[in-house]
Amino acid sequence: MHIADLLTAERVACGDPSASKKRVLEQLSALIAGGQPALTPTDVFDSLLARERLGSTGLGHGVAIPHGRVKHGTVTVGAFIKLQQPIDFDAIDGEPVDLLFGLLVPEQSTQEHLQLLAQLAEMFSDAAFVAGLRAAGSAAELHALLSQWKPGP
Amino acid sequence: MKIIILGAGQVGSSLANNLASEANDITVVDTEPQRLQALQDRLDLRTVTGQASHPEVLLRAGAEDADMLIAVTNSDETNMVACQIAYSLFRTPTKIARVRALEYLMHPQLFNPESIPIDVLISPEQLVTDYIHRLIEYPGALQVLNFAEGKVQLVAVKAYYGGPLVGHELQTLRQHMPGVDTRVAAIYRRNRPIIPEGTTVIEADDEVFFIAAKKDIRAVMSELRRLEKPVRHVIIAGGGNIGKRLAAALENDYQVKLIDHNPARARAVSEELSRTIVLQGDAADAELLLAENIEETDVFCALTNDDEANILSSMLAKRLGARKVMTLINRAAYVDLVESGEIDVAISPQQATIGSLLTHVRRGDVAAVHSLRRGAAEAIEAVAHGDKQSSKVAGRAVEDIKLPHGTTIGAIVRGSDVLIAHHDTVIEAEDHVILFVVDKKRIPEVERLFQVGITFL
Repeated sequence: MHIADLLTAERVACGDPSASKKRVLEQLSALIAGGQPALTPTDVFDSLLARERLGSTGLGHGVAIPHGRVKHGTVTVGAFIKLQQPIDFDAIDGEPVDLLFGLLVPEQSTQEHLQLLAQLAEMFSDAAFVAGLRAAGSAAELHALLSQWKPGP
Repeated sequence: MKIIILGAGQVGSSLANNLASEANDITVVDTEPQRLQALQDRLDLRTVTGQASHPEVLLRAGAEDADMLIAVTNSDETNMVACQIAYSLFRTPTKIARVRALEYLMHPQLFNPESIPIDVLISPEQLVTDYIHRLIEYPGALQVLNFAEGKVQLVAVKAYYGGPLVGHELQTLRQHMPGVDTRVAAIYRRNRPIIPEGTTVIEADDEVFFIAAKKDIRAVMSELRRLEKPVRHVIIAGGGNIGKRLAAALENDYQVKLIDHNPARARAVSEELSRTIVLQGDAADAELLLAENIEETDVFCALTNDDEANILSSMLAKRLGARKVMTLINRAAYVDLVESGEIDVAISPQQATIGSLLTHVRRGDVAAVHSLRRGAAEAIEAVAHGDKQSSKVAGRAVEDIKLPHGTTIGAIVRGSDVLIAHHDTVIEAEDHVILFVVDKKRIPEVERLFQVGITFL
């Protein structure tokens, strides 16, 4: 599975005005649940929150990967938000976060999902790539950048 | 964390005090602007004046962004409605409310997302009652705190000259009691913490905090001081919420007398309780206390809502011969004042309540928190998750965990088993780990330790 397969253009938002961790998780949940009849935003929100309670998904350098598992879910869905203003996310390095990749996986998560998470972490550790995301001016531009990224050799 | 506190009364204010000092973003709501002004003058927080349950007021308080709502106004109904509104309109992740009336509490099925969406109910009266009850069960203990639903207890005792272990190194404990496993989590000597090691020698008058399985507590206490004879006679002053509950909890196991000065209340309480002897009178009346055999009384508890009356009646009871006196004191300054004097145990409702709230404020999966030594120290029950890769705790032996300075791991609860921590005990995922943190400033490091890594799914 590739990161490009997780996203659609509708699930990418640029310049979201959310000003708190709680609100941006709500926005991510709405994006993830949109177009998925089996998912409600509330279920997704609860799942992301439950994971966040065990430890922040703030990777450092302004990036977070909120993720969760949802009961009865069968699909793996991603969503991406670039915030207008960075917010406090309790990240490892204490830096505020402005780039968030939300990921929802089925209850029976597999090795494949762990690899997906590792791939996301790798993608966001590429400083030039992240700078490109920050420079992007529209959701379409963000979507194109995220879809084109390929893991290094 | 962004937290909204509804109600700037005693509980609300002391909460704001505790939480504002911990880099939280606090907003307090109350109908009385003067109360809010008093808080704002000394603490770094935001205030909103208004009716706490109104959606518009919650919105102004920042409900759209808040991680937590703590409803502690004087009205149960306001607290419940505020939680309902926070849930329906704002999806507030954690909703905590004080509900006092047993009429509501006796129907726990009410409190779920389908009916009244409160995640955590707190009842300070119940917490204080349980706290006193445990102290009466273990005469001689200064504090008895539960972890893992009471499977493990943390007990504070003052070591007495003549206790078998006093004057000996801690490592001799095992020879003294081969069948009993315990761990000394901290020692306070002349109010200064000492980090206990095998070679630490316990001195008389040390305040010793130890952790053991519930069944072993008495055995460990007997090593530190001569065991006191069990409590039989209890006198309670004040038939309010706490006094009445305590009498009800004790009356089947102890001989309980309850004194209240209000004739109507004394009558009402006597009708509700079956075995307690209820007396109408003044608990600070020496003749009444003498007539009720105060000199034969093992524990005298002053539990009215008047601090000064509680302190004076306790002092009088002690002077007239009560073996031990426990006093309910709301004002923090008074607690410090009386504890070195004739009063054996000062009970602060705020101190008893704050722990159950901190449990939800702490980052990571935390099952219980007890605030100790007036908030300077803390005991935490944290749950380990993940594996050696995603966790800094799970899959590691106790000696390999990088604990912050002044922090000890006392015990581990695995399923229904209690394991006292030794250097080679390996922590597994889902273990409940009980830690003692001498310096509250180290709490963020402990939180970090138990948080899972990014790759935990």
